[in-house]
Amino acid sequence: MVFLVFPVILTVVVSFNGSQFIEFPPTSFSLDWYANISSIHRIGSATLISLGIGLMAAGLATVFAIGAALVLVRYPLPAKPVLTAFLLSPVTLPTVAIGIALIQFFIMLDVAFTWYSLVFGHIVLIVAYPIRTIIASLTLSDTSLDEAAASLGAGRLTVFRTITLPQLRPGLISGFLFAFLISFDNYPISIFLVRGELTTMPIEVFNYISQNLDPTPAAFSTLYIVIVSIVIMLAERRYGIISLAVGK
Amino acid sequence: MLGPLIAFMFIFYAVPFGNMAYESLHSWPGDDKPHVGLSVFQYEKTTQKSRTVKSLKRTFRISIISTILTFIICFPITLLLLRSSPRIKVGILLVTFISLASSLIIRNYGWLVVLADAGPINNILIWLKIFEFPKRMAYSEGAIITALVHYCMPFMILPIYGSLLRIPASNAEASLSLGANAWTTLRRVILPLSMPGIFGGTMLSFAICMSSYVTPLMLGSPSTAMVSQVAAEQIEVQLNFPWGSAIIITLTLGSFLIVFIYAALVGKVMRVDV
Repeated sequence: MVFLVFPVILTVVVSFNGSQFIEFPPTSFSLDWYANISSIHRIGSATLISLGIGLMAAGLATVFAIGAALVLVRYPLPAKPVLTAFLLSPVTLPTVAIGIALIQFFIMLDVAFTWYSLVFGHIVLIVAYPIRTIIASLTLSDTSLDEAAASLGAGRLTVFRTITLPQLRPGLISGFLFAFLISFDNYPISIFLVRGELTTMPIEVFNYISQNLDPTPAAFSTLYIVIVSIVIMLAERRYGIISLAVGK
Repeated sequence: MLGPLIAFMFIFYAVPFGNMAYESLHSWPGDDKPHVGLSVFQYEKTTQKSRTVKSLKRTFRISIISTILTFIICFPITLLLLRSSPRIKVGILLVTFISLASSLIIRNYGWLVVLADAGPINNILIWLKIFEFPKRMAYSEGAIITALVHYCMPFMILPIYGSLLRIPASNAEASLSLGANAWTTLRRVILPLSMPGIFGGTMLSFAICMSSYVTPLMLGSPSTAMVSQVAAEQIEVQLNFPWGSAIIITLTLGSFLIVFIYAALVGKVMRVDV
């Protein structure tokens, strides 16, 4: 566990050090690197684009996943294992392969380097996460409640909205959250699909790290880790995402 | 309701991959002997050029070493998780999740900091008088493996812990009360029963390492290039789409083949279905 947190702690310490270069133990205290975050090229617009792409891709992926998971869990279907394996397979493929396949395809369709092609590419990668978590929630949910509501005269949409959906909430939230985080952090697909003004946060941070040696990225990392920690802790407290992912 | 997603994945996943496979069977204008029609020329080139062969071997080597190391580090952690109090359990799981959720680039940057010339490891080793001058530790195969192990840990811990949870505590108790010692119980009872989780975790780690791209870019050098980098370079720099496609397809098939052999071996040795 020490190994797991060591680089994180070091990054936080270095972000408050005054030195121009990465050094440890720190020699002086300064907040300069936090002020310097704005010097990462296009960091503001890139972060906004990443947020937008991530929200759209994770939102659409979750909506797709609800329908797919319902059918996969509740209805008898021929070739179910094959279909499930197909939908979950992008996670196990080399991510660069998805990027390379998509850029050739988008160039062919003449829609390369558009924001929506980036959204589509991210959906392919992330859709497996909400499918998994929603299937997990569905297997735990109680179908007799749906049947009871239906037999009492509720329409299919009403049953779905008032009975099924609330039971799926933990799966939906954790699936959406992980889909969003994976999209927000993606580099190997985005790098093929962006150009010029259309750029994402990971790409700009990566470029900064490869061209500069100062600890500005450490300051950025510290902020990122703090925000992610808060989100994960809130999600755990409200929806118990950890137990859902571990499977008990 | 499954229809929309299947249609979407067909258009934006199956078709692009089919198209890439088709592209990989073509010749590129800059090839030595450009030709029309389909051939396996790009694949022959992949298995003959020393840069691609070296990067393929390196990728397999790094992935196997990283997966084994990740398992060795993570298995004791999952046993500890099983035994510890609820408070510590939630703490360890939260750290694991936060680690899983923090950006890969940020975690790799953390290793650049740790392994920097004036970083803590170098300074400790100099202080201990093991080195006289800082040693360049970043930008090497070792640095890549370290960062990959770190990245894979949550993907190893979660499935193994999940399968350990499903083993009834009475199994281990029965084994202990029948006279087996702790080590035998671990080896003969716990290990075989947690095999689905171990298989899931090691397979996921292996797949992640095989497809790693950002980590060798940040912590490696041109002489430690892994396959994804070589393929990406052909696409982005040379605009050699046929060869880039062939390289990445070779990697994908190779990694599937290893996983397949591994699954068969695990099934045979442990006599369990995974």
